[in-house]
Amino acid sequence: MKHTAYSKEHARFLIKRRKNLTLVWTLRIGVLALLLGLWELVTACGWVDPFIMSSPSRIAKTIASLYADGSLFYHIGVTLWETLAGFAIAVVLGFAVALLLWWSETVRKVLEPYIVVLNALPKIALGPLIIVWFGTGSEAIVFMTVLVGIIVAILHMLSAFIATDPNKILLMRSLGAGKWQILFKLVLPSSYPALISMLKVSVGMAWIGSIMGEYIVSRAGLGYLIVYGGQVFKLDLVMSATFLLCLLAAGMYALVVLLEKILVKNAER
Amino acid sequence: MKNILQFQSVTYIYHTVRGELIAAKDVTFSVGEGEFVAVIGPSGCGKTTILSLAAGLLKPSDGTIERSGTFGYMLQKDELFPWRTIEKNIYLPLEVRRQRSPQQRERAVALAEKYGLGDFLKSYPAQLSGGMRQRAALIRTLAADPDLLLLDEPFSALDYQTRLNVCEDVANIIRSEKKTALLITHDISEAISLADRILVLSARPARVLHTHTLDFGGVPPLRRRELPAFSGWFERLWGELNT
Repeated sequence: MKHTAYSKEHARFLIKRRKNLTLVWTLRIGVLALLLGLWELVTACGWVDPFIMSSPSRIAKTIASLYADGSLFYHIGVTLWETLAGFAIAVVLGFAVALLLWWSETVRKVLEPYIVVLNALPKIALGPLIIVWFGTGSEAIVFMTVLVGIIVAILHMLSAFIATDPNKILLMRSLGAGKWQILFKLVLPSSYPALISMLKVSVGMAWIGSIMGEYIVSRAGLGYLIVYGGQVFKLDLVMSATFLLCLLAAGMYALVVLLEKILVKNAER
Repeated sequence: MKNILQFQSVTYIYHTVRGELIAAKDVTFSVGEGEFVAVIGPSGCGKTTILSLAAGLLKPSDGTIERSGTFGYMLQKDELFPWRTIEKNIYLPLEVRRQRSPQQRERAVALAEKYGLGDFLKSYPAQLSGGMRQRAALIRTLAADPDLLLLDEPFSALDYQTRLNVCEDVANIIRSEKKTALLITHDISEAISLADRILVLSARPARVLHTHTLDFGGVPPLRRRELPAFSGWFERLWGELNT
């Protein structure tokens, strides 16, 4: 309806933009279709052994059979629950610890070397300990997910808290503000963008943690299917679980992007 | 005249790992009620230290500082919080001091309206020009009704034309609200165009070298710049700063 108000040049610009967008999407889907088609072709013609490479049609069949025996959503549910629980705990705890470290410079200095070491340590090295402590259930995997995510969450938020504009802190102090007021009126609101980016990073870390946890110890979940499939040489199962993981990770990322849009809109009003 | 602020032989020493640095030595001066005092000095001489001491943000190593009444601090940049509207920014000092009565809020809004911010109360700082933002920062400082305004080069982040206009604005607002002000600046002409009295500081460690009382009366800043006495004062202060 507004388009009539635009100049012809602007109309051409809009059309060009839309054409470009269509092209990008066509190519994106085309690349996927081409790869899947090639994959199917080389395995169907017997150029590559489908037993080792699997194939799109075999993946579809495997997923269908998982669905038929009712285990598809069970495994997805287990992995999803572990990931989300680990994500939530890591984010909340990480935020709280970062606040504590911001509050007290002494605590920060004391804990700094521990955090650096924990950050550098490959968490998978703690696998045997986690099995002994938490058994072989979901608790162990949630713990692993928290372990992988929390340090990143702490460091991300802490650097944002510390980066608060010193002149604004000076302004608050000149108004007679105490530490609580500086925290609630200045530090937290100004760290809002960092919180959103921390959530985004933490989603990725949570997937790493939960799948890694399932690799070490598990009786269910997509990571379990991948490991199990590898052990009994059912490459169809490995590929299917990997494919489902791709879908889930993409879906969760899309949700976070949506959340970001809502949060940013709210912040701007 | 009642003294709002009184420095008596104030010395201030900064301590760092590498050693100590005497920023101010034996500084004595006072600011009387209703006065506009400007402090000039070579860059890096410790002007901001004097202001932080006056605000009570630093404690003197030696000497005494007497303050009667409350103060408001205005910084080089406006430091408005970008996530708050202008109105909410102006309420900030009231919130921090837990002065939540409707009368105080009304007073703050009335000030904003009186000085041309009425249409921008619901806007965010990013939507305002630099000059308007600095004006909003002044209204925020005045919202808590301070007895003394401490101005730390409040115009230095603005471009030249905006700077002259905002300087004029601020001078008018401060005079019509009958506020006492202590201005720190490295800009000699700004000091002459605003102040009733000028203190000239030495290079570090800062001491008060000279005190001058200007006789412009209530002449506003831009008009002062046109007066013949202006260039006389300028030459004199320029000379004192460069010896």
